[in-house]
Amino acid sequence: MRSKTIGSLCFDAGIYLFLTAMGLITLLPFANVLSKSVSEEWAITSGKVGIFPVGFQLDTMKFVVTSSQFLHSLLISVIVTLVGTLLSLLITAMTAYPLSKRELPGSGILIVMFIFTMMFSGGIIPNYLLIRQLGLINHLGSLILPALINVFNMLVIKSYFESLPESLEESAKLEGARNYTILFRIILPLSAPVLATIGLFYAVSFWNDYFNPMLYINSSNLKPLQLYLQDIVMNADSSSLNRSADDLMNVPAEGVRAATVIASTVPILLVYPFLQKYFIKGVLIGSVKG
Amino acid sequence: MNKSEISLGYQQAVKTGAGGRRWRLIRSNLDMYALLLPGLVFLLLFKYTPMYGILIAFQDFNIFGGIGGSEWVGLAQFEKLIHSSDFMNVLINTLVISLYKIVILFPIPVLIALLLNEVKRMFFKRTIQTVIYLPHFLSWVIISGLFITILSPAGGLVNEIISSFGGHPVSFLTDNQFFRSVIVFTAGWKETGWNAIVFIAAIAGIEQEQYEAAAIDGAGRIRQMISITLPGILPTVVLMFILRIGSLLEAGTEQILTMYNPLVYQTGDVIGTYVYRLGLGQQDYSFSTAVGLFNSVVGFVLVLSGNMLSRKFLNRSIW
Repeated sequence: MRSKTIGSLCFDAGIYLFLTAMGLITLLPFANVLSKSVSEEWAITSGKVGIFPVGFQLDTMKFVVTSSQFLHSLLISVIVTLVGTLLSLLITAMTAYPLSKRELPGSGILIVMFIFTMMFSGGIIPNYLLIRQLGLINHLGSLILPALINVFNMLVIKSYFESLPESLEESAKLEGARNYTILFRIILPLSAPVLATIGLFYAVSFWNDYFNPMLYINSSNLKPLQLYLQDIVMNADSSSLNRSADDLMNVPAEGVRAATVIASTVPILLVYPFLQKYFIKGVLIGSVKG
Repeated sequence: MNKSEISLGYQQAVKTGAGGRRWRLIRSNLDMYALLLPGLVFLLLFKYTPMYGILIAFQDFNIFGGIGGSEWVGLAQFEKLIHSSDFMNVLINTLVISLYKIVILFPIPVLIALLLNEVKRMFFKRTIQTVIYLPHFLSWVIISGLFITILSPAGGLVNEIISSFGGHPVSFLTDNQFFRSVIVFTAGWKETGWNAIVFIAAIAGIEQEQYEAAAIDGAGRIRQMISITLPGILPTVVLMFILRIGSLLEAGTEQILTMYNPLVYQTGDVIGTYVYRLGLGQQDYSFSTAVGLFNSVVGFVLVLSGNMLSRKFLNRSIW
């Protein structure tokens, strides 16, 4: 063991200090908003709440998570995320499999066509007009169908398929198995790790999506959680623009906003251990592939 | 005969001529095309049909007439665009915010990766990683909710701290002087930890012998960091930088949409938010599509050039 020099110790101290500061900067907003969500309203508006609650109470939280609009939006988000993720995984894998066979006539040009859409798109307005034309405005399909295949995800699955040993496919083929049988019976079960990763990618993006709902959903009956949250966050904010005594009365209280933000964060926190594990894998698959 | 051909099962196909072989491949794999069908429909309907919709940028589009029944106006929308002071403003905002984000936020993940590499206590390292990756998974709506709360001029944490030092409360999100800083800071808060992952992985790929040899030569830790680790991850850094430049015109539309308000349009309105407001708010479909097209074309050129650079200097294609 070489002994540590004073310089080395200072270096270490600096590193630990810096990284701890990064961690605290990340956690501080959560601590503050969490405290506000369980503090008394007077303490919040008078700026007494730092990183610990003042006048602990759970009424605000109870009010928020039992509000029928919150529960309804939560349900919409769960439905969109579940249906969207399953459908996306299925269609993405079904598309990736034929494209992983270079010998298949047409696969090359299709890959180019898919990759081109990663770099160039019609843009917001032509997309909106298409959804409108399809009659999907105020329809949950508008949140799922245009996002069914993420080209990056498709390419990751494709390269995973390419890396599988072909001997199993060969023998199945010799016994006369059809391609779809091979995909669903042999390839997909072998691809569980990559499917789990990509499934989580899809689930998070469906769950967090607020851009599509903002464009395509205006019926409050169909608003997913992110859009509902946006209404609450923005309402509270824009009213602070021209703050007058009257306005303050009908502003959703700070505490309600804080509690809604926290309640909307919890689902992600619950799955975070999985997310962290699989996402890092996914990021690395993507970057190593190059 | 390669593996893929065997697995597709056309031993006999190979024996026939090239044209016949292709035809046989197609015929014996019709079910492959059936698998492709949903993906193909998706591609044509949701990706390529909107590209056809770009035509309305050359029209005076009328939603009841559709593309067929609207008047063609050539490049009139683009002339309007060049002369529009609003457009110039959003273009400048886009570039300024994007450049701030690149200059300030690009180096930090590299630094974090370098520093994390020096941490030998695994528990500390894991804890920090777990914490700083988290914001990546939260939506912009949640993050703007968090920051609107802590930046609020009425009892927000930051302003309480400013006040306690005797300063005046600042309305960060409605003040043109501060809005861009908030945008850059929150973008960093969300993605910095996450962006470090690629560099952490690159560091893990560096051979340990190099460090051992350097240690024998008497190189200290800082010396090793500068002369071994940094050059070791340089190709990854350059690649990530090129990728980042490719999205120069994406200053963070979703982020800004959740945080801005009319008071800060002057400094915070970017191309994406402008297109959204103009197109969907004021239903000026043709002009906003023209703005969007400008955005797409410049973005496309940037990505292509980035890929060319990366091929030339790093011998590595982005896709």
